[in-house]
Amino acid sequence: MRSSLRQMVTCMWSARRLQRYLDADPSAPLTPGEIARIEEHLAVCAKCADSAYELHALHHALAGWSQRPEPDEASLTRLRGYLDELTGSPRGPHGQETP
Amino acid sequence: MPPPTRPALEDPARAFREHVEPQIEVMLRVALSLTGRRADAEDLVQESLLRAYRAIDRFDGRHPRAWLLTILRHTHVNMHRRRRPDTLADWDRVGDARPAFGAARQQSAEDTVVDGTLDEQLAAAVATLDPRFRAVLVLVDVDDLSYAEAAATLGIPVGTVMSRLSRARRRVREALGSDALSPGRQS
Repeated sequence: MRSSLRQMVTCMWSARRLQRYLDADPSAPLTPGEIARIEEHLAVCAKCADSAYELHALHHALAGWSQRPEPDEASLTRLRGYLDELTGSPRGPHGQETP
Repeated sequence: MPPPTRPALEDPARAFREHVEPQIEVMLRVALSLTGRRADAEDLVQESLLRAYRAIDRFDGRHPRAWLLTILRHTHVNMHRRRRPDTLADWDRVGDARPAFGAARQQSAEDTVVDGTLDEQLAAAVATLDPRFRAVLVLVDVDDLSYAEAAATLGIPVGTVMSRLSRARRRVREALGSDALSPGRQS
């Protein structure tokens, strides 16, 4: 009884930090102690491990989403040329700065 | 003999170019998400570059991407005053949503979950999100911005980015169903 209650509390504690653990964003770092506690929990809790996998898979699915609109290479080239005009730094034919 | 190259810090134009040039692609990608139109995205980035160059004296050299995305947001708000500042355009306005280039990304084993069926399911799930949640999800998960960069782009606190992201991901997972992202899924 006591151990299942402890497990439930740890699940809730981990769920609240799972996004920060997986994203590892510099704006919201976890402490080394928090990271160790989450990893220990994920190693023994199938439900939280599945949740972590799904979040991870969702991020990769969205990052590789073929329906995302991609910018035009011609636009990029024009914008790089515009930056060169602004800063007075024309490039050579292969992108290197001219002396 | 060519003149000696001055250190970047003594040459503001050169320093500007060194900081900004690596960020142009992400600026254009985010501008495309903001405007939903390729021509508008290019115009927005060009205007933002001009404004950034004029404001170079106020740039401290740290976090150039977040600085540029903040300028991009201000410029976008000025150019499109009627749009809510913390949302993105609908992608279907872009028309040709197929990758113009850059489609050949590094694939890992886990990317194999992104098959055609999941792509369609993702599109449907993301389309039903509240625009504020969709904006954060697209900027962080699709455009690969950090929390702070997404916050700068949308003009909201980092904590709001995190809470909206959590809700957006939960809703997309719920919409996809438990099997779509499960470990046993095969492409």
